[in-house]
Amino acid sequence: MPINPIKRELVKNALATVADNIIVSVIRTSRTTLVKNNLDFSSSICDAKGEMVAQGLALPAHLGATMPALRYCLDYFGDDLEDGDIMANNDPYSGGSHLNDIFMFKPIFKNGERVCILALILHHSDLGGRVAGGNAADSMEIFQEGVRIPPCKIQVRGTVDPTVMRFIQYNTRIPEKTMGDVRSQIAALNAADRDLQNILADYEVGEFKAYMKALVDYTEELARASIRALPDGEVEFTEWNDDDGVGNGPIRIHLKLTVKGDRIVADYSGTSPQMGGSLHTNYWFTASLTYAGLRTIMPAGMPNNAGFYRPITIIAPEGSWVNPRFPAALGARGQGGYRIRSIILGALAKLLPGRYPACCGGSEFGLSVAGYDRAGKPFLHLEFHNMTGHGGGPDRDGQEGGPYCLGNLANTPVEYIEADSPLRIEEYSLIPDSGGPGEYRGSLGIARRYRLLAEKAVVNLRSDRHKTACWGLFGGRPGRKARSLRNPHTNAAEELPSKFVREFRKDDVFLAEMAASGGYGDPFARDPGRVLEDVIDEKVTVAHAGEAYGVVIDPARMEVDREATNSARQGAASRG
Amino acid sequence: MTTYRLGVDIGGTFTDIVLLDPNGTLHSKKVLSTPDDYSRAIEEGVLALLQSTGIAAGDIIEFGHGTTIATNAIIERKGVTVALVTTRGFRDVLELGRFRSPRLYDISFRKPDPLVRRRLRFEVRERVGGDGSVLEPVDLAELDRIADRLVEKKVEAVAICFINSYVNAENELAAQRHLQARLPGIPVSASAQLLPQIQEYERTSTTVVNAYIRPVVERYVRSLQNRMRKIGIKVPLMIMQSSGGVLPGDQAGTNPVYVIESGPAAGVVGVQRLGRHIKFDNLMVLDMGGTTAKASLIQNGEFTIMPESEVGDAHVGHRLVQGGGYAVQVPTIDIAEVGAGGGSIAVVDAAGGFHVGPQSAGAVPGPICYNRGGEQPTVTDANLILGYLNPKALVGGELELNFEKAKAAVAALGTKLKQSATDTAYGIHLIANANMMRALSGVSSERGQDPSRYALVAMGGNGGVHAGNLADTLRIRRIIIPPVAGLFSALGLLFADVEHQVIRGFYRRMDETTPEQLNATFAPMIDEAVGLLASEGFAKPERRQIELFAEMKYVGQTWTLRIPFPGLKLDGGTNAAMAELFGQAHNQNYGYRSDNEKMQYVALKVLGRGLSDFPRVPARVKRARELIAERGERNAYYGPELGWLKTPVKPRVDLTTKPVKGPLIVEEYDTTTVVRPGWSAHLDGWNNIVMDRL
Repeated sequence: MPINPIKRELVKNALATVADNIIVSVIRTSRTTLVKNNLDFSSSICDAKGEMVAQGLALPAHLGATMPALRYCLDYFGDDLEDGDIMANNDPYSGGSHLNDIFMFKPIFKNGERVCILALILHHSDLGGRVAGGNAADSMEIFQEGVRIPPCKIQVRGTVDPTVMRFIQYNTRIPEKTMGDVRSQIAALNAADRDLQNILADYEVGEFKAYMKALVDYTEELARASIRALPDGEVEFTEWNDDDGVGNGPIRIHLKLTVKGDRIVADYSGTSPQMGGSLHTNYWFTASLTYAGLRTIMPAGMPNNAGFYRPITIIAPEGSWVNPRFPAALGARGQGGYRIRSIILGALAKLLPGRYPACCGGSEFGLSVAGYDRAGKPFLHLEFHNMTGHGGGPDRDGQEGGPYCLGNLANTPVEYIEADSPLRIEEYSLIPDSGGPGEYRGSLGIARRYRLLAEKAVVNLRSDRHKTACWGLFGGRPGRKARSLRNPHTNAAEELPSKFVREFRKDDVFLAEMAASGGYGDPFARDPGRVLEDVIDEKVTVAHAGEAYGVVIDPARMEVDREATNSARQGAASRG
Repeated sequence: MTTYRLGVDIGGTFTDIVLLDPNGTLHSKKVLSTPDDYSRAIEEGVLALLQSTGIAAGDIIEFGHGTTIATNAIIERKGVTVALVTTRGFRDVLELGRFRSPRLYDISFRKPDPLVRRRLRFEVRERVGGDGSVLEPVDLAELDRIADRLVEKKVEAVAICFINSYVNAENELAAQRHLQARLPGIPVSASAQLLPQIQEYERTSTTVVNAYIRPVVERYVRSLQNRMRKIGIKVPLMIMQSSGGVLPGDQAGTNPVYVIESGPAAGVVGVQRLGRHIKFDNLMVLDMGGTTAKASLIQNGEFTIMPESEVGDAHVGHRLVQGGGYAVQVPTIDIAEVGAGGGSIAVVDAAGGFHVGPQSAGAVPGPICYNRGGEQPTVTDANLILGYLNPKALVGGELELNFEKAKAAVAALGTKLKQSATDTAYGIHLIANANMMRALSGVSSERGQDPSRYALVAMGGNGGVHAGNLADTLRIRRIIIPPVAGLFSALGLLFADVEHQVIRGFYRRMDETTPEQLNATFAPMIDEAVGLLASEGFAKPERRQIELFAEMKYVGQTWTLRIPFPGLKLDGGTNAAMAELFGQAHNQNYGYRSDNEKMQYVALKVLGRGLSDFPRVPARVKRARELIAERGERNAYYGPELGWLKTPVKPRVDLTTKPVKGPLIVEEYDTTTVVRPGWSAHLDGWNNIVMDRL
């Protein structure tokens, strides 16, 4: 069938509209802070065989796992799928990502024929396991992390399956909120089905399928064209996780990125072997984030679908940190995942100088605080604050609080935390002097301080960057590393590791200092006027201006001392 | 003596002026806006219109105004130097924002820089707990030191936002009083006075935006008032709010965040009031201009109000996308906007993909056919080739069109697509429609509403050209093209009521709330609303309408729904009644309700409306001196199945209440309406063109 490019654009628009509607429906009806405020969910539309055709607004991290999670469902059910069914799956060893992400899929039928499949992935705050929130870094096997939902039907011919629902309900610490989110997830898919039927009314099934295929082929062509436009070459980049969550480390992650013609190979050979703990990224998650990182070299308006995966080959040795064997724990895999993103962007920065900034700041901070309030009612506060801002360069400073386009998780409003949980937030602010010095400075790190108001609670932290900093580029320095402190400024002050599960008592304070971004270019080449602006804004102290940038500032007059600056900078240059 | 009402709507390019008499006779004028001082074009335009019609300024009894002045001040960063005073530990809330990027995979994206730099953000020792208890009063000595710094730094406005002030504003208001006393010449805005709603970043941002543009808007309002007085117009200036009511000019100056979406709101209000008048309660509104198209929904006679919006992102974004602008937590009519208008440009990408917009040729250079230097084919060029627009000139002959040049460019684009010029032009038309569909479905199917149950009201110069095809796609059966569709926003300004909203944060679970608490909270709010209305001439109780609302949600949700209380005196049955109304609303919006879940009040609102002495909407609206288009016929293209059809061309005055079948083109001064085959058209009593699917 000949493809008309005008009609193809119309189909693309229609599918994007449906996928977006799914997202809005979830935002407006969901219950947990993580979903409604951090927007930790993604929607997409796959063709009848499970190849992704269109995405709604989504988290890049979810997307690579959609097709494999659907594949396992389709393999399991075969032809046993009917109108009104919704499949669910959260099993990382059945194509999923980590147990908290429940993937749901609704096959869409017209005249009895399966036309396409709607996908909605939602991060559920608690699905059981030994630590609330399912994010403990020190779990050793998947069985400790919560309920595994193998490929199953959560809705059968339009009726929700009470058994599956009850399994979920009986395995979560916060049944009201979790079931609210599960219902919201199901309702959004059913509403989108109705939308899609309106669109399908205008098409023959065969015609619609042909256009979905054409959209994927068209994307592949755009992706290949953008890769061809890059210089051929091979670069290597190494990154580190502090440890594996149970004391082994640091973990080496190594990438060799090869661009040749219209193909890219991302080879993770040389990466540390599989360890303990739950920070591993399974193959699908590794692939998701590799695709997301490489997507940044392609045109912004290109559709996000399976077509752009095709020119990319991923080599992730089995049994390694980025492709562990069953039954490795995976709950805190987001941690490892951030490193995959930074390693891809680092390799691209080396391959394409002048196009990519230094490493974005952040310690992949994930916190859960769980316990019982005075009335004996359970509470669970779960929040992620993965990133802190932008790396410096290539032609401007990293933006403080700059959003990370490959993560895109919102922060959690202080007032919501204080309204919903027995916690008080005492500080949420930038850390002066922490940004990686450079001709273009990295953004500052962020401090967030919590006080426990309940009698006691179990605090679980999953974070990183205590030992290895966010890197600078081309002479720019790394950003300040992260720290975790219990009861700072008291006699009982204690520095904590980046990952822990501890009991806290009433009035205990937890201070997180999240890592800052790397700088770009020689800090001694930075315009002294910009250093002065930073000093006036109290983002950089007078002392740090001198040490890191060789800029001498007269604090009384708030001016750059040009002469002293020149001699400080020349002295540094002559010392080499 | 005939009296007149004056409506003025400022757009980016044009300022629309209308004068309406009680019989619905309308005089209008379109003049170029004067961005250096928008009030100048208004004075000159109004004066010219008065002179040409012979109407005396003293006969004007009302002046309604829609303005983009607040939005422009933000987009162009023309506000004043603002300082922010905040709770110790939270100096950087404004700069940190929410960490959302509207553009995935775009490594170069930066959110807009904060409107207050760190050097002008000050922390003060004070604290209110999440439950509203005062943990620590404001340190006034510290405030004194801050006041000295503000003077030294030559600050022009101050914003105050403390953590948890939405539950208890005691500390924040104490700080405001103290600082205002120390800084008599500098306006000090407190977040709780503006809008006491949860979420510290959004509330801080709202307060800062307000402080930033307040002096600019105040100056503008004063200047406009002076100019109007000078030409003899003595009635008070009333400005349209984002939520759809009008506010006295002085109040809009003090609280300019309320008038950010002033212009777009006027069009929606106009359609809503028109709908009530012609007994149409379910309407979908499409306003298609040169660069963007806006959609909104009127359901059971009401438009939807959203609790917040974003401002300051010059790019037209997707409504889901957050982080591209400054958050403003102000009730705003739910209007979805997409980058599809008459000037939207069609391009073919490297892989043969075909796109229309969001890039626009704007008014300058404009579409190719305008012959003002435009080189890239636009939606208007396509509509011209398809025969929808008059091939010689727009009505009135003010703008001659270059058909051949437009056709050559579209044909060249078609070569890349291996399509004929006609198919390519029709493709441009359809893709522009597909983009607009995203806006239309954003306000309908996204909210669980089936668009086919609505009538489509199309306005803006291009609305009538595209409405037919859109209605076919959405299975809509009726289309309404109001008279003066090209200036309908200016007309809508005259249909709105004076309206005040008084809002208080009320974050309490329903099962822990008593009717006494509700009444006690509402009493002073009602007094405030009544006082405002009384001072504006609505002294008699029967000239005032007071309604109470709650923003509600299930415990744990973030998004609220606005639910009306059944009356003004609340009693033991109130909570149960509200629970039922909320359940119904949730079901209607999202397709389900959960009756065993707990509900939460988030905020209480009093809406006070002033009712004028005469009907806001006249019985019929008609242009005083209608320019009559040439009657005739031409070929127009209706898609591959119907092809080119010989189509009669008529002016609106030729239509009667008796339906005629399409194809038909109705040409007017500022609007063209295409009646497609399969549709009929007639005029209703209000002078609307009504199209019905056969």
